[in-house]
Amino acid sequence: MARRLVLSAAGPAGAPLRGRFASTTLHVIGIALAAMSVGMLACGLLEAFTTGRDTAALVVSGLVTGTAGGLMWYLTRPGEIRKRHVFSTVASTWVAITCVGAVPFVLAGTFATGGAGFVEQVVNSVFESASGYSASGSTVLADFEMPGRGLMMYRQLTHWYGGMGVVVLAVAVLPFLGVGGLELITAEAPGPSSDRLTPRVSETARRLWMVYIGFTICAAVAFFVADGFSSIYDAVAHAFTVAATGGFSPYADSIGHYDSVAVETVVIVCMILGGTSFTLHWRAVANRTVPYHRNSEFRTYLAMLGVAATVIVLLLWLENHLSLSSSIRAAVFTVVSLGTSTGLSNATGPGSPGDYVTWVAGAQLVLLFLMVVGGCTGSTSGGIKVMRMRVLSLTMLRGVQHTQTPSAVIPIRLGRDIVSERVVSRVAGFFLLHFLLVICGMLAVTALEGDLESALGAVVSALGNMGPALGEAGPTSNYAAAFSQPARLVLALLMVIGRLEIFPILLAALNLADRGSAAVRRGRFSLQNLSRRLDLGE
Amino acid sequence: MLCGLAGIGDDNADAVAFACVGAACAIVAAVARQRVAAPERATAGRVFAGIGLLWTLLVLFGAAVYAGTGALRSFDDALVESAAGFTTTAVTLLDASEASRTVLLFRGVTSWVGGLIAILIAVVTLPVVLRSTALIGYTTGRRGMDLVPNASVGTRRVLVLYGGFTAACVVAYLLCGLGLTEALVLGLGTASTGGFTGRADSLAGYGAGPQAVAAAGMLVAGAGIFLIWWIARGRLRPLWRSQELRTFVLLLAVATAAMAVHRDIGWGEAGFMAVSMMSTTGFAVADWTGWGTSATVIMLVAAGIGTMMGSPGGGMKVMRARLLMGSAGGELRRQLDPYALILVRRDGETLSRRTLDRLGGHQIAWVALVGVGVLLLGISGVSLLGSVWASVSAVSTVGPAMGEIGAFGRLEGLDWPGRLALVPLMMAGRMSIPPLMAGVGLLLRWYRTAVRQSRFLVVRAEQRRDPRPESADADG
Repeated sequence: MARRLVLSAAGPAGAPLRGRFASTTLHVIGIALAAMSVGMLACGLLEAFTTGRDTAALVVSGLVTGTAGGLMWYLTRPGEIRKRHVFSTVASTWVAITCVGAVPFVLAGTFATGGAGFVEQVVNSVFESASGYSASGSTVLADFEMPGRGLMMYRQLTHWYGGMGVVVLAVAVLPFLGVGGLELITAEAPGPSSDRLTPRVSETARRLWMVYIGFTICAAVAFFVADGFSSIYDAVAHAFTVAATGGFSPYADSIGHYDSVAVETVVIVCMILGGTSFTLHWRAVANRTVPYHRNSEFRTYLAMLGVAATVIVLLLWLENHLSLSSSIRAAVFTVVSLGTSTGLSNATGPGSPGDYVTWVAGAQLVLLFLMVVGGCTGSTSGGIKVMRMRVLSLTMLRGVQHTQTPSAVIPIRLGRDIVSERVVSRVAGFFLLHFLLVICGMLAVTALEGDLESALGAVVSALGNMGPALGEAGPTSNYAAAFSQPARLVLALLMVIGRLEIFPILLAALNLADRGSAAVRRGRFSLQNLSRRLDLGE
Repeated sequence: MLCGLAGIGDDNADAVAFACVGAACAIVAAVARQRVAAPERATAGRVFAGIGLLWTLLVLFGAAVYAGTGALRSFDDALVESAAGFTTTAVTLLDASEASRTVLLFRGVTSWVGGLIAILIAVVTLPVVLRSTALIGYTTGRRGMDLVPNASVGTRRVLVLYGGFTAACVVAYLLCGLGLTEALVLGLGTASTGGFTGRADSLAGYGAGPQAVAAAGMLVAGAGIFLIWWIARGRLRPLWRSQELRTFVLLLAVATAAMAVHRDIGWGEAGFMAVSMMSTTGFAVADWTGWGTSATVIMLVAAGIGTMMGSPGGGMKVMRARLLMGSAGGELRRQLDPYALILVRRDGETLSRRTLDRLGGHQIAWVALVGVGVLLLGISGVSLLGSVWASVSAVSTVGPAMGEIGAFGRLEGLDWPGRLALVPLMMAGRMSIPPLMAGVGLLLRWYRTAVRQSRFLVVRAEQRRDPRPESADADG
């Protein structure tokens, strides 16, 4: 594997790989699985030195995944990347890692509580895996004491892998992909377009991963200091989650476990940075400047969080009758957590100030709005993204201007740049599909049992990779109690769709449908030919 | 004034109040007609702004009537009731057992007038005054030319068709054994998709006959004036060829079937409520709020989609929803081939990219309006579920909603901020998005002009205070 990595990184044109089976999809899946297996084995090692309960599950999963991934990687080579294949590649990779990522949970019997059957265990494991890799943070785990430390760290690690994207990782170690590589990154990356930091795509991907790793280390150190130097394990686990804007925590009461203003402050800052474009972070590091204030999307993002926090503080203070300090603490943390699509909670228990399902409806609706919007483009957060919301608002304003002057040509500008009509149309299409998916998701989840409030919250949360939702799926609740098994599978699918920003999964499905209809047409044609020949024979 | 005449003998005080407000309306209208000249060229912005002003004035006059007669104690309640009436939204604060015949009839008439104006704007004003293909998404397209060759003929035809359809509804209700007042109120409520019945439990207390008449009436009203036109002319081909009608019927069938598979709901009830929601009428034959979540979500979606173009009902409109689906599908295909030429057609008419973009803008504005409504209602103290439902229902001009409002559209469960928050939502839903956008556009333009003028004045004042020597610039 190491030899392959070296060859991949060093080879200018992939000459040593000639003669292998050409399949970009299998090749990328192979790299992704190999990377996952490293994480599984590392967590198995941690498990062996700590609790030791789930060592076998992690090591076996790691070995099987590593072998399968290594074989796929070794036996295939990236072929020509067509537009149609890019989306199938990304979608297949994510489906594969979601399913394989569930294996450690199944083998460890993490969800074998309360007389759960094998099917339910598998469903819960797939849900947890999808939630982890999509950096959502919704959980079906009821007993947080049962899994060992290694398995819990693996759960956190799923966020970290998924946050920046396993395909970006694959592209980083694969210089053969060229232009197709950028398309792969674009298909996976959050936002309407992806910035190239360097002319080489693989170099861009590597730099993004470097920033990501650096940010994770800084977050871990800051958490460790804020927590009073008490636990490296906790610091690393939470650094994985905040860097990926995930939402998993090793504790049932999430950040509320610490009940510490210092820890909450560090987490708030890290979540805000996690919801900011990593391209900006790279520029800040590389140019040793502070480019944030010059970025209009970042300014809007901060303004949005500020306004939402202010409104909620007032509502909690006046309507929920909390003290001003409790209102500020609960509101700011929750607004940043949901506004960056992280989903961590500072609720110390049901009914505590941080338990936002007990807040007045107005405050919950503001949170719902934040869930829909999400963070900045190029960040690890989910949602529609601030930039898209700006383009949508400007499109709406252009509609206002068109009512006055129907024939006017009015370009849409973001800062000094004019947004091309192609991007505007793509953003509008994305919004429409997002809206349709929310409706279809609500119909599906409510048809499979679930109340409207929880269903609405869960679907918006799943598509925005948020984690906790509203109603019965709030920050102190559990998805297993709120939704039936099929509904959980629907939500898991929505999480993956949301993580890939809708298009890849839908296009992969469309591709499959096209292939199916082509096969049917070929079958009909063959039948017609056969019948003609039979007629001629007669 | 007609309602006042109808009330003579039943409640004379109400009759006098109605006559006074009616006379005031007539005087204002006469003065306006005489003093204000029609503009030589009606620009889109002016037309939309005029539409906005018209609805606002109607609602204010209606509120004056309710407040003047004492049917509702406070002016804000009267405003809500008037807005609900003119916007054909089936929510009410009137206590039917205490309200006089005059007030009930007036409530029905407000819906009828609201429905008529909505049809006239969609079918006559916009396509004739704004002969612009850029606005095709807001108008009725080619088929409108058949019904409306010009403004005067179109108006006359619409009046005859709408009046005839209303009369048919009233006669059908009379044949079912209802009294004249009840038949009139129900007929006006059915034809206009207003949904007002004058009873606290909507149509639940009526027999199968009136319910069947209501269902058929809502179906026709939701399908719009073109359906009535085609039926009146005996032209079945356009009926069959209409993409919008086929989609409307298909959606109704799917909604009915999806609700009817629910174990507690019969096919009849499911069909009735599907038509009621999709036509945005708001009649109810049962308390559907206890039907189960999936059934209520289907009703919410049906209410959001709404009626066909040319109907007095509200919602996003079937045609727009259909075009947007086509546009989204095209966008999905364009991801695979950025240079693909993807055509979206409406009844054989290919729509330009620009029109589709504007439709996209319309849809964004619609969702934003619902979102703002949800936030407004939530902050006004309405529950989360109630806010979402009430906002969609008000913007689609349906009325009944889960939560505080309930299946029969009673507003007593809402506090005054919640009730008042419904008024702009209902009006925005009734006016549709373009006039609303035009209103915002005019405000923005006035604001910019004012800012520019104030800046100019400030610069002038500074120049007067501190005149620069001209030679300094020349030397420099």
